[in-house]
Amino acid sequence: MIRQNAGIWAGIVLLLFSVFVFWQSFSLHYRTAFGPGPGMFPRWLSGILIVLSLVYIWQSARKEIFRLSEILPKGEGLINILSVLLSVFVFMVIVNRTGFMIAGTAMLFIVLFRHFKWYAALIIAFVVTLILFLIFKPLLGVPIPVNQFGW
Amino acid sequence: MDSLMQLLGGFETALSWWNLFYCLVGVTVGMLVGVLPGLGPATATALLIPITFGMDPISAIIMLAGIYYGGMYGGTITSVLINTPGEAASVITCLDGYPLAKQGRAGVALGVAAIGSFIGGTISIIGLAFIGPALAEWALKFGPPEFFALMLFGLVMVVGLMGRSLIRGLIAAFLGLILSLVGLDPVSGAQRFTFGQPFLLEGFDIVTITMGLFGISEILLGMESMYKTGELPKVKGLLPRRDEWKPTMKAIGRGTALGFVSGLVPGTSSTIPALLSYSLERQIAKDKSRFGKGAIEGVAGPETANNAYCGSALIPLFTLGIPSSPTIAILLGAFIMHGLTPGPTLFMENPNFVWAIIASMFIGNLILLIMNLPLAGMWAKVALVPPKLLYPIILLITVLGAYSINNSLWDVGVMYAFGIIGYFMKKLDIPMAPVVLTIVLSKLMETSLTQSMTIFEGNMFAFFQRPISATLIVLSIVVLIFSVFAEVKNKKSALAGDIEM
Repeated sequence: MIRQNAGIWAGIVLLLFSVFVFWQSFSLHYRTAFGPGPGMFPRWLSGILIVLSLVYIWQSARKEIFRLSEILPKGEGLINILSVLLSVFVFMVIVNRTGFMIAGTAMLFIVLFRHFKWYAALIIAFVVTLILFLIFKPLLGVPIPVNQFGW
Repeated sequence: MDSLMQLLGGFETALSWWNLFYCLVGVTVGMLVGVLPGLGPATATALLIPITFGMDPISAIIMLAGIYYGGMYGGTITSVLINTPGEAASVITCLDGYPLAKQGRAGVALGVAAIGSFIGGTISIIGLAFIGPALAEWALKFGPPEFFALMLFGLVMVVGLMGRSLIRGLIAAFLGLILSLVGLDPVSGAQRFTFGQPFLLEGFDIVTITMGLFGISEILLGMESMYKTGELPKVKGLLPRRDEWKPTMKAIGRGTALGFVSGLVPGTSSTIPALLSYSLERQIAKDKSRFGKGAIEGVAGPETANNAYCGSALIPLFTLGIPSSPTIAILLGAFIMHGLTPGPTLFMENPNFVWAIIASMFIGNLILLIMNLPLAGMWAKVALVPPKLLYPIILLITVLGAYSINNSLWDVGVMYAFGIIGYFMKKLDIPMAPVVLTIVLSKLMETSLTQSMTIFEGNMFAFFQRPISATLIVLSIVVLIFSVFAEVKNKKSALAGDIEM
């Protein structure tokens, strides 16, 4: 039952995070000669967040229960979400080498190819990337990642 | 009189060809993001900030503000026509707007909403023009303790009013506060939580985090559910019947007042006046059963209220430098990036700037009225773009926007991570607005608290010896106690809903 409770899991992650910040705050000075030091806020804030996470865990177990099975995506939705995450990841990995045109097309293609015929997905991906490239770079002068050929 | 002359001067600047163009671009983008589910005003404003780097500050803020108030108009169209609110404040409009559309009166619902939005929006800007300077002058008396107390009050209001659970609101607020600690300490200059990484030295960028929490999470949720785009009802006959004019105008009047007052309270959001207006209209109606089945007041009141809110919510930003919603927080960020400090001195030090923005908002509202009355049907077609195409395009634009902030993939990575966090926060019903607001406010709060403590020589109770700070802190405590009480009694659902995507 508890293993299915998403609120408890989120509370545990939050608790670990706040304990980590609390622990780290001891490496900063709590007070300086002029008043509060850089460590004062972190210690108080993370201390309060520790208490809040504990109350949240307690509340998640007793009052409003969110089940993991309701929260985690499944089936088609899961694949769609994974494709979005994968596409941005691929973009980040390759863009500095390939430039925006190739990385952007690849990114869109990863998300689109399951919903369109592969060649249609490729054409849409390329055209959209090209339009954005033209709007952002030459027209608006916004810096975008490019390869040695300037695209 | 003085304000009027300065406002006329503002019109002179706002009516230049370039500023008119940027105003048009801003409100058009605002309409677009209002119509499109998955892209809200906060994300859109954040996205366009990099484009404004090379622009004159007045044109830049005219454009960004246009997105902010334009978004409120756009959201109505999809609420009425396809029962899908484009932004959070229009959720209420679905209740009566969609039934009206099913009765073949979509045009009337949209017409009434546009007229109400225009009246509410314009009156609230008049309020901004005349109350703003006076409030700013009064705020000049504020010292660090007063500012600290005011920000504390704003934060408590955000946490107390948003979402269904006080604990979850507090968690979001403290998460934001802790995230804002990363980087250099503003007072001592010491490094906090940078782990030797150079890109952490400047801390997390508010724009990147907003894009992740509000933009990417919405794309993930949209891709998961993939809503169906249906048939559009015909839009014809934009004006109500003769017997409907009187109740409509009364609802618009009440909506304007409610929206304007809500905007002045730090920590409220555009959803709250819309909701309050709807319940007020229902309560005072002779025949309550009409509501939910196509009552015209149920569209006129809330739509007016959220637009009236928009103008007056800028008053705390212009006069005190305090944002009350994520979109306004982004606007605050844009002010700072363009070398302007919102707050009491803004009206005195940059009168040209302030009055040009205010004047442009009058113009923007007029453009929006034209865009909405005869052209509503055209905008609705935008909502028919299939989500399988729409979301990937928004995704690429968002990634590009994040990259262009600092020319770095680090920002894309931060946005990516916060997108995933935002997705789970939405699923667990943890509000996200407090995270963004606290990130903006915390540095200001920390500085004003440290300065206050130096003035008070470490005596915390001295906050209660100054009338303004004492009143605000007592009010904050009252709101907090009220929220705890509501939480214990399980009554904290009325004002739910995470605000402003």
